[in-house]
Amino acid sequence: MEKRTMALLLSMGMAASLLTGCGGGNTDSGSTAAAGENSGAVTTTGAAEGGSGDAVTLKFTWWGSQSRHDYTQKILDAYTAEHPDITFEAVPAGWDGYFDKLSTEAASGSMPDIVQMDYLYISTYAKNNSIADLQPYIDDKTIDVSGIDEALLNSANINGKMAGLVLSTSLVTFPYNPEVLEKAGVAEPDSSWTWDDFIALNQKLKEAGVTDAAVINPTLDTNLFHYWVCQHGGKLFADDQKSLGYADDQILVDYIRMFKDAMDQDLVPTPDEMGQIDTLGLEAGPVVTGEGAFTQNWNNYSTLVAKANDKIKMVTPPTIGADDKKGLWMKPGMFLSISETSPHKKEAAEFINWFLNSETANDIMMAERGTPSSSMARDYLSNSGKMAPWQQDMFAYVDMAAKMAGETPAPDPTGMSEVNKVFADACNAAFYDQMSPEDAAASFRKKADEILTRNN
Amino acid sequence: MRKKEQIHSVTFHVGACLLGFIMIYPLLWLLASSFKSNDVMFQDAYSLIPKVWDAATNYKSGLEGVGGVSFGTFFMNTIVVTIAGTAGCVFISLLAAYAFTRIKFWGSGFLFGCVMMTMMIPPQVMVVPQYIILKKLGLIDTRIALVLPWFFGGAFFIFLMVQFFRGIPRELDEAAMIDGCGKAGILFRVLVPVVKPALVTASIFAFYWIWQDFFQPLIFMSTTKKFTISLALNMYLDPNSYNNYGGLFAMSVISLLPVVIFFIIFQKYLVDGIAMDGIKG
Amino acid sequence: MAKLGKFHHYKRKDNIAGYLFLAPWIFGFLLMWLIPAIISIYYSFTDFNLLNTPSVIGLGNYQRIFTQDDTFWQALKVTFTYVLLLVPLRLAFALFVAMLLNQKHKGLGLYRTLYYVPSIIGGSIAVSIVWKQLFGNKGVMMSLLGLLGIQQKTSLLGNPRTALMVIVIMGVWQFGSSMLIFLSALKQIPYSLYESAMVDGGKPWQVFTRITLPMLTPTIFFNLILQIINGFRVFTESYVITDGGPLDSTLSYVLYLYRRAFTYFDMGYSCALAWVLVAIIAVFTVILFKTQNNWVHYES
Repeated sequence: MEKRTMALLLSMGMAASLLTGCGGGNTDSGSTAAAGENSGAVTTTGAAEGGSGDAVTLKFTWWGSQSRHDYTQKILDAYTAEHPDITFEAVPAGWDGYFDKLSTEAASGSMPDIVQMDYLYISTYAKNNSIADLQPYIDDKTIDVSGIDEALLNSANINGKMAGLVLSTSLVTFPYNPEVLEKAGVAEPDSSWTWDDFIALNQKLKEAGVTDAAVINPTLDTNLFHYWVCQHGGKLFADDQKSLGYADDQILVDYIRMFKDAMDQDLVPTPDEMGQIDTLGLEAGPVVTGEGAFTQNWNNYSTLVAKANDKIKMVTPPTIGADDKKGLWMKPGMFLSISETSPHKKEAAEFINWFLNSETANDIMMAERGTPSSSMARDYLSNSGKMAPWQQDMFAYVDMAAKMAGETPAPDPTGMSEVNKVFADACNAAFYDQMSPEDAAASFRKKADEILTRNN
Repeated sequence: MRKKEQIHSVTFHVGACLLGFIMIYPLLWLLASSFKSNDVMFQDAYSLIPKVWDAATNYKSGLEGVGGVSFGTFFMNTIVVTIAGTAGCVFISLLAAYAFTRIKFWGSGFLFGCVMMTMMIPPQVMVVPQYIILKKLGLIDTRIALVLPWFFGGAFFIFLMVQFFRGIPRELDEAAMIDGCGKAGILFRVLVPVVKPALVTASIFAFYWIWQDFFQPLIFMSTTKKFTISLALNMYLDPNSYNNYGGLFAMSVISLLPVVIFFIIFQKYLVDGIAMDGIKG
Repeated sequence: MAKLGKFHHYKRKDNIAGYLFLAPWIFGFLLMWLIPAIISIYYSFTDFNLLNTPSVIGLGNYQRIFTQDDTFWQALKVTFTYVLLLVPLRLAFALFVAMLLNQKHKGLGLYRTLYYVPSIIGGSIAVSIVWKQLFGNKGVMMSLLGLLGIQQKTSLLGNPRTALMVIVIMGVWQFGSSMLIFLSALKQIPYSLYESAMVDGGKPWQVFTRITLPMLTPTIFFNLILQIINGFRVFTESYVITDGGPLDSTLSYVLYLYRRAFTYFDMGYSCALAWVLVAIIAVFTVILFKTQNNWVHYES
C-alpha cells in the first residue's frame, strides 16, 4: 500500500514536471523546492533509524513556559551525562494544544515514551490503555516512592492501575496580601477561620476601601466546590463514578447563594469582572498589586508571583464552623506517565525515579513544577539553603495543611473537563440571574449525571 | 471651488487617519508592550507608553529562543516552509484553475464541486486522519508535512484564479493556438503574464496564511529545531506558571515584520491584481 | 452544481489535458482531503474517543445531535446569528471604504496598508488582550457608553446579550481582504461608463446603483461565497476572546465541535457534527451558485 502510494506520488510528480517543462519560466523554482523537501525526508528517517543498538532514545514531552523548557533540557543533559547510553528526544510544548496533540499521537499509536500528564485527563488515558501501569516498577523498586504520601500516590491509581507518578502536591489555598489587610486594620486569618469569618472580614475590607476584597472565581473548576462538598460530609462523585456523590442539592444551592450574596455586596467579582481580571495574568492580579486582599489558588501561588510581589502569604480555605468535617486533601499537581506503546518502559521508569528523587534533578528544578511530592526531595531542598523565603513558605504550608487534610477522594472520573464546564454554566446562570440557585443546582445534577454515565 | 476641494481633501485625510488609528491600534499596543518590563507588563496595560522600559531584556530573551533553540532557527524554518508552501500552492492552483476554465473535460463540474467542498470541512476533524496518513508515509515531523497540505489545499486560490480566468477573453487563447502553442504554452506564455497580478495576490494571501499557520503544525511537528515561529511563540506560555510575555511580544513584533514588509512591497500589485473581470483586449 | 455528463461527449485530447493539469491537485485532494474525509465520515458512525478502537454505533451520533444535545442548537443559533450579521456588515463596510479609497488622494498606499493590518495580525494573543481591554468593564467602550448616558454594570463582553456583538464587530474590523478585492474590482470599471452616465445627468446614487453595483456583482458573489463559508466555520475569534462564553453566548459551531473532539474526547460525535455543518454550508453555497445567473453579470 505504502509503496504504491509512493509510486503514485512519483508518477504524479513526473507528470507535473513534464507539464511545466513545456512552459518554461516559473518551473525551476517549483521543482527545486520539491527536490529539497524530498532530501529533507531522507535525512530525518535516516536519523530516526540510527538510534538502534544499545543506546536508547527516550521521547519526553511536557508543557510549560520558557523557563521550564530551558531547565528541563538541562536536567535531561545531566541524565545523559550520568547515563551515556540514554539520550532524549525532548518535545517541550505550550499548554495550548498540548493535549490536542497528545491525543492525536495516541490515536495513531505514537505517544512519546514519557508524558507529563494532568489530573484532568489521566483517567481517560488510563481507562483506554494508552498509558502503562507503573506498579511493577514500584514493586521492583525501580521507582522509589517511599517519600510520597500514600493517598497522594494513589491519586493516579485508576481501576487498580498506577497510571502515573505524582510529581507535586497541590492544596486548595487562599493566598492574601498582608499589607492590604494591615492597611485596612484587619487581622490576618489563621486556619481556624470559618466562611462566616471570611465574609465578615471582606465586608470590613470593603468598608476600608479595598476595591477587590476577595478575587475568587467560584466556578473556575470544581475544586473549590469539591472542597465545600467534602466539608459538608459528602462526596462530589459516587463510588461507581456514574453520578454525583452528594444527595442533597441544597449543598450546591448554599454554595451558589453564598457567592451570589458576596457578589451582590461587591465582595467577590462577578463572572464578568473576573473575566477582566483573568486577562491581567497572575503577576498583575489585584492581590499582587495591592488592589485586592484575598484570592483562591494553589499552594505554589506565592512562588509564581514572587517576582512581582514577594510578600504574599497563604492560609487554608475557611471551615464551616466548630463541628467542621475536614474537607482539605492533598491534590496531585502533575504526573509523569509512560505510554503503553513505549518500547523502553524500564529505562523510562528509571529516569522518572531519578527525576523525582535525585539531588541533581531537584537542584536544577528548584520546585518549579510545584512542591515536590517526595518528602526526600522536599527535605533535600529545605536543607540546601538555596530556597527563597517564598519557597520555604510554600513547603511550610504543605506541612501545616497536611495535618488538616482529611480523606483523599478517589481520582477524578473520566469526563471531568465536561463536568467542570456544565458546573460553571449552571452556577453562572444563577450569578447572571437567569436561573434560581435551586434550578441551577438541579440543572448541574442532570447534566453532570448524563456526562458521568456516558463516560464511566 | 478650489477651497471646497481642499476641505474635501482635509476631511478625507482626517477621517482616513482616524480609521487607520483604530485599525492599527492593536499593533501599536503590541509594539508598546514589547518595550515594557515583563514584571509590570499588565499593570499599565491600558497605556501605549511604557511605565518601565525594558526592551533590551525582552528582545534578548526572545531572541535566545526556547528549549535551547534560537529564535533565528524558528525564523529560518518559517521562511523555508512559507516560501516552499506559497510557491507550490500558487503553482498547483494555477494549473487547476486553468483546467477548470479553459478545458472542457469529463467530470470538471464534479471536481470543481470537490474544490468548493474542501473549503467547507472544518479542519479540526480532518487533522487526525491526516496525521495517520502522513505517519503511514513517514512524513510526520518533517517539513514536508507542513508544506504538503498547502500544496493541495488551495481551494481558495483555485476559486480566486478561476474567477480571474473567467475575465480573460478567449480570443487570446485562440490567437496563441493559431501560432502553434500547446495548452501549456498558452498558459505559461500567454495567460500567466496577463494574470501575473492575480498570482501576486494569491501569493500574498498564501504567504501570510502559511506564515501564521498554527493548528496543523502543532499536531504534525515534534522536534523543536524544526518548529515554525507560531509554534515557538506558543511555547512561551503556560497559564499556570510564570510567563515571559515581554519575550513573547517582542518575538511577535519581529515575526510580523516579514508579513507586513511583504505586503507593503506587493500591495500595489495586490490592488491591480484582484481583477475579477473587465480585462478588455 | 456537480453533474457528470456523458464521457464520449468530450474530446479525448481535452480529457487527457484536463486531468494532466489537475493531476497534482487531484493527487493532493485524494491524499489530504478525500481519504481523511472518508475516514472522518466513518468515525462519525462510531464511538471513537481518540484513544480507543472505534466501534460502529450506527446513526447514534446523529440521533444524539438532533434529539439530546441542547448545546448543538445553541451553537447553531450563535453561528447563524454571526453569519447573518457579519457577512452583510463586513461586505458593506469593505465596499464603503474601498469606494473612499478609490479617489485620487495622496497616501492611499499607506491607508491600504493600515486597513489591511488587522487581517494580518488575525487572532494573535495581542489582539485578544486588546479587545478584552477595549470592551471590558474598565475599557474605552464602557466610558463611551457612559458618556452617551447608558450606564451598565456588566461589560459588553461579559454580558450574554451583547458579547456576540463584540465578536461581530471584531469580524467587521478585519475587513481588509474583502476591501482589497473590492478596490481592485472598482479600479477595473472602465471610466468611460461613468463619463457617459454623468453626461446623461445621473445623480451619484444612480451612478452607484446603475453602474458600479452591477459591475461589481462578480466580486460581490466571490466575496459572499467566501465570507459565508468562512463565517460558518468561525473559530479563532470566539476561541481567543471569549472562549465561547459567557453562558455559551459566543459558542461558535466549530469551537463546539473542536471541544467535543479534543477536550471531551468525543471524536466520533465531533465528526458527525462536522458533517452536519458541511451539509448546511453546502446548501447555502449551492443556492448561491444557482441564483448566480439571475444577478451576477459576467463580462464575457
